[in-house]
Amino acid sequence: MMSRFANLTHFGALLFFALVVSITFAFLSKRGATERLKYTLWAFLAFLLVAIGIGWLMYPFSQ
Amino acid sequence: MDDTMTRQVVKGSQIMGIVAALAGWLVPGLGHLVLRRWSKAGVYFLCIGGLACAGLAMRGGVFGAGAEDLFDRLGFFADLGAGVFYFLAQQIQTAGPDVAHATGDYGTRLFAAAGMLNLLTVLEAYDIGRGGETK
Repeated sequence: MMSRFANLTHFGALLFFALVVSITFAFLSKRGATERLKYTLWAFLAFLLVAIGIGWLMYPFSQ
Repeated sequence: MDDTMTRQVVKGSQIMGIVAALAGWLVPGLGHLVLRRWSKAGVYFLCIGGLACAGLAMRGGVFGAGAEDLFDRLGFFADLGAGVFYFLAQQIQTAGPDVAHATGDYGTRLFAAAGMLNLLTVLEAYDIGRGGETK
């Protein structure tokens, strides 16, 4: 189990981070299973969108 | 038991808030367990514990108390927020940190994020413990 995390790619780490933080934020800020599920999905997708967007914006600087 | 049902059972006081906050800092989710918020306690323990263990498994660095520059000191306070995971970091991470590789660097951030998230749950536990209404 631990070795799986040791070989995590950048994108894998991003997915894991986004999911765990989204769930925690949902439980901190929302009440009720449906509200929490909706918030988790929304926050998770927002994390991904922003990360990929910033990645694309920074791409020209890596050349 | 559902959180909504237990909300009436827990009577708030300043001492209860402090006890819940300290317990929550020491072990993520324990503060909510003391306050009988079962689902929150479980989720916080799994999420924060998972994040901290993943950070250590990725051989992330853990900042020590003797940090000299501001960034390291901030890192120390963020890491310290993870409570028991900070104190057991060396036992969990037997191979030691390796921040020369990207994975180790991500691990450092994941562990710090676990600490910061736990501090948020500590604030919530304190608020619930002293009788404040939270979501």
